[in-house]
Amino acid sequence: MNKHTLIFAAAVVLQLAILLGIPAKKVYTRATGREVTLKVVPVDPYDVLKGYYVTLGYEISRPNAILDVQNFAPGAVVYAVVEQQEDGFWTPVALEQELPQDLPSNRVALRGRWNGRRFDYGIEQFSIPESKREVIADDLNKNLNEARVDVKVDANGNAALLRLRIQDRVYE
Amino acid sequence: MTANPSSSFRATLRQEIPVWLQEGIVTEEAAQRLAARYELNKLSQESSGLLAAVIFTIGGLLLGGGLLSFVAANWEEIPTFAKVAFLLSLLLAFHGVGYWLWHHKNWSRLGHALVFTGSLAFGANIGLMAQIFHVSGEWYGAFGAWALGSLVMAYAARSWITGLLALVNAVIWFLGISHALHSFWMSVVPLLIAALFLPLAWQLRSRVLYAATFVGFTISLCSIAEQQYSSAKYFLMTLVICGFLAWAAGEFHRVKKIRSEFGNPLAGLGIVTLGGIAYIWSFHEWWRTDGWLNRAVAQRPTFYWLLPTGIAVLIGLALIVTMLQEINALPTRRLLAIGITLASGILVVCALLGIMHRGDQILLTLVVNVAALIIAAVAIAIGVMDERRAAFWTGTVFVVVLILSRFLEYETSLLLKSAAFMICGFTMIAAGIAFEKHLRQKEAQL
Repeated sequence: MNKHTLIFAAAVVLQLAILLGIPAKKVYTRATGREVTLKVVPVDPYDVLKGYYVTLGYEISRPNAILDVQNFAPGAVVYAVVEQQEDGFWTPVALEQELPQDLPSNRVALRGRWNGRRFDYGIEQFSIPESKREVIADDLNKNLNEARVDVKVDANGNAALLRLRIQDRVYE
Repeated sequence: MTANPSSSFRATLRQEIPVWLQEGIVTEEAAQRLAARYELNKLSQESSGLLAAVIFTIGGLLLGGGLLSFVAANWEEIPTFAKVAFLLSLLLAFHGVGYWLWHHKNWSRLGHALVFTGSLAFGANIGLMAQIFHVSGEWYGAFGAWALGSLVMAYAARSWITGLLALVNAVIWFLGISHALHSFWMSVVPLLIAALFLPLAWQLRSRVLYAATFVGFTISLCSIAEQQYSSAKYFLMTLVICGFLAWAAGEFHRVKKIRSEFGNPLAGLGIVTLGGIAYIWSFHEWWRTDGWLNRAVAQRPTFYWLLPTGIAVLIGLALIVTMLQEINALPTRRLLAIGITLASGILVVCALLGIMHRGDQILLTLVVNVAALIIAAVAIAIGVMDERRAAFWTGTVFVVVLILSRFLEYETSLLLKSAAFMICGFTMIAAGIAFEKHLRQKEAQL
């Protein structure tokens, strides 16, 4: 192989590496994480459909008595601890600034960031194919109270969206 | 030989040489030497090659778009692994076939077009990969990744158009990230953009990419200057400095005859920027401290952006110092250098005074109008001295536009307006006649 071919091949490899790097963390989380189910709540400002994805909010997104903002600067890393309830949903029970160790088996911690208005966990954007955009947005607007998502959470608290469920309809 | 004779000149020359031969104006040997000097044998290959490159690129785009649409139609039924495999194979196919055609089959244009299309597909794939795995993130991150991948490909494939794609992406990424993060490192990025793209343009001898890099540098620098202060005057000052730098760099290429083909586009870009800015800022509204354009909100002002701006000034001045001797040797060159430097200086000082709320607003408006008139006068003078119609008429039209704008801007009686219009029209015609006479006299002397 001559020098030109090698340089060209290296450039192609870099492009492939960038492409594979984009979902790498999510793939790892999907492979190693534990599945939890979260209730979907309205986002504020209420703007569900944004281009090619819907924006989802959760109980762990908005600050409240449990999820106390304290004086976090925008960008501050937080860990929301959720606990599995009898109905199968996982709800917030604490907010930590360090990754909690030795959590009981019915609890997991999700790593997020305070963005100045709410907590982001990297699971707020649910991408949808163009053909289903209106259908999903419409379904979500009408049946928001019955919407939930299944996510995987890995040992570091990183979360990956698996699917959106609204009543008996499943969107992946 | 002129550094970069135009294709149309060479095409005319190719038509003319046989006629000259027939009429005995040139000998057979001279005709051959002319043909060799202007590389006339490559002419048809070049022009048809350019058309072919455009057609091949469009073809490649349609092919890629068709394949993507075909897959998109069945997107939901395809398993994740297959989707990823398809996207990566599409990228590999474009690059692989492109490289093979370019290097092994002597189909350079088609090969390059396919490699460029591959980099476009790379951008689409970034979005699709994020979509498949529901990756959340800031929108500008995708443009950053696209810029990085296509820049490396532009160097590897020696493709100026892929470089241009990378540059556009890099600037879009920077506009996004610099608005989200206010850090010192943001002020380094415009310099980094220049440092990454100028060598590529230099290596490929691409005038388009070279000038576009200056535009990219200007946009990114102005973006941080503007957003950190929300005052239009910082924007003005930075734009003037970038215009001055572009002109100085262009003049440097022309004077020193180093990559002299870069000279005209850059110098032109610089003068148009300076003229445009002087015109826009010649309106009084910009200088009114209570005007709606000047509601300066200092939101966490930082002076980071002064680093690249200062470097731009220093480079511009250093370039002028290195060519002082050559500038002094030619009256028109000297006039141009003095005029542009003076006008740039006036604009920067006015902007600074405006920022500090010093100086009478009417005086500032007047002085900026003077700067605009200096630029116009330099163009007219060069037109007359060097017998260049385009420069003469550009300068004349600029003066007339400035005068008419002032009459439209201020409330004056209709009678005065009509008088001004008539005087402008009359002066333009008179100046034109005088200039054409001057040209004819010069021609007669030859």
